[in-house]
Amino acid sequence: MLTLSPVEESILQRTFALGLMQAGLALAGMTGQEIIVASPDVRRCTPAEVIAMAGGADRVVVGIYLGITGSLSGHALLMLPPDGARDLARILLEGVGEEMPDADEPVDPTRPFELDPLSMSALMEVGNVTISAFLNELGMHLHEPVMPTVPQVVVEMAGAILDTVLVDLSMDSDQVLAARAVFIRGYNAIEGALLILPRAESVATLLSALGVNG
Amino acid sequence: MIGTSQAEVGAPGLTQLLVAGIGEMVLSRDPRSILVAYGLGSCVALSAWDPISGAGALAHFMLPGGPVAGSVGGPPVKTIEGGLGIFLDAFVRQGGQLRRAQFKAAGGAAMLALLSGGLEIGRRNGEALISGLESRGLRLLARDLGGGAGRTVQLEVGTGRLLVKSVSTVATL
Repeated sequence: MLTLSPVEESILQRTFALGLMQAGLALAGMTGQEIIVASPDVRRCTPAEVIAMAGGADRVVVGIYLGITGSLSGHALLMLPPDGARDLARILLEGVGEEMPDADEPVDPTRPFELDPLSMSALMEVGNVTISAFLNELGMHLHEPVMPTVPQVVVEMAGAILDTVLVDLSMDSDQVLAARAVFIRGYNAIEGALLILPRAESVATLLSALGVNG
Repeated sequence: MIGTSQAEVGAPGLTQLLVAGIGEMVLSRDPRSILVAYGLGSCVALSAWDPISGAGALAHFMLPGGPVAGSVGGPPVKTIEGGLGIFLDAFVRQGGQLRRAQFKAAGGAAMLALLSGGLEIGRRNGEALISGLESRGLRLLARDLGGGAGRTVQLEVGTGRLLVKSVSTVATL
């Protein structure tokens, strides 16, 4: 069971908010785009509340999932709207020399959204860079390294991507600690959400590393 | 009960959407109600519908079983082991009769290949649901379990139809 004192909660909020900011900066640096990191939200909540924080269950998103391993363990998920994800991939692949297969093709609304393998791998790299920046910030407080796993990209309903993660975390706790930030790109207001969900025992590890004792 | 909503009589003719969030359930006897569970991955949804009384119920289960830590204030139907009985009792209180009720289930997909155990939990959820019903002498009339795609399910309380949608398909159970 995850219980936190107000002091612990506010220290975690500050630490995670800094990490989320670093993640946004890394994304901006990687893409050369102006990225606004908005609505950082760090709190203890129920699984249903986590899904609400991510923007709702049935919204189809491009989810970039990375597991977190090492002295801190848990899950990280970057969720982008399909069009935004495709745009982001295009920005990263510009000048790679590969012809983007669907750059000027009209989009058939009856066909489900798909990503080509090149865009998928570009988005995996987005996940890698973004989550690693977050983990580096947190890792400064921990004595052992924290690492992300190999990324996985899925196009799915947000709830369906999240529930497997939430099921994993809910085995030993009804509540989870969720850290979320919204990334807004330029004037297009393409929004993506970054969600970090540490395991209950990792929250305790992090708190003691931050110098808070129970 | 937290996370449980029941339909109230609203304006005539208006469809009423009742949403079962993760680990929650919804019930109604109003034929205009539609009971929904959005974005099921490894979770499973179980619907119960009584064609005579018109009572309908939908649960959004997360886990097959296991220790439930401090369930006060937690999701009421988080596990199938602990929540199936709660769900069936609520359905009966809503006017449903278990012997004549139609049970349908959807969900239990394998979503994230990298998450160890993540592939297992969907399958185990499906199995736990079937065996939980069997141990009470009940069985599923229709099912859409497993696979690798997320699902949204909708139970039409007026007709008992269960609509199952994924990103690329729509089916009626």
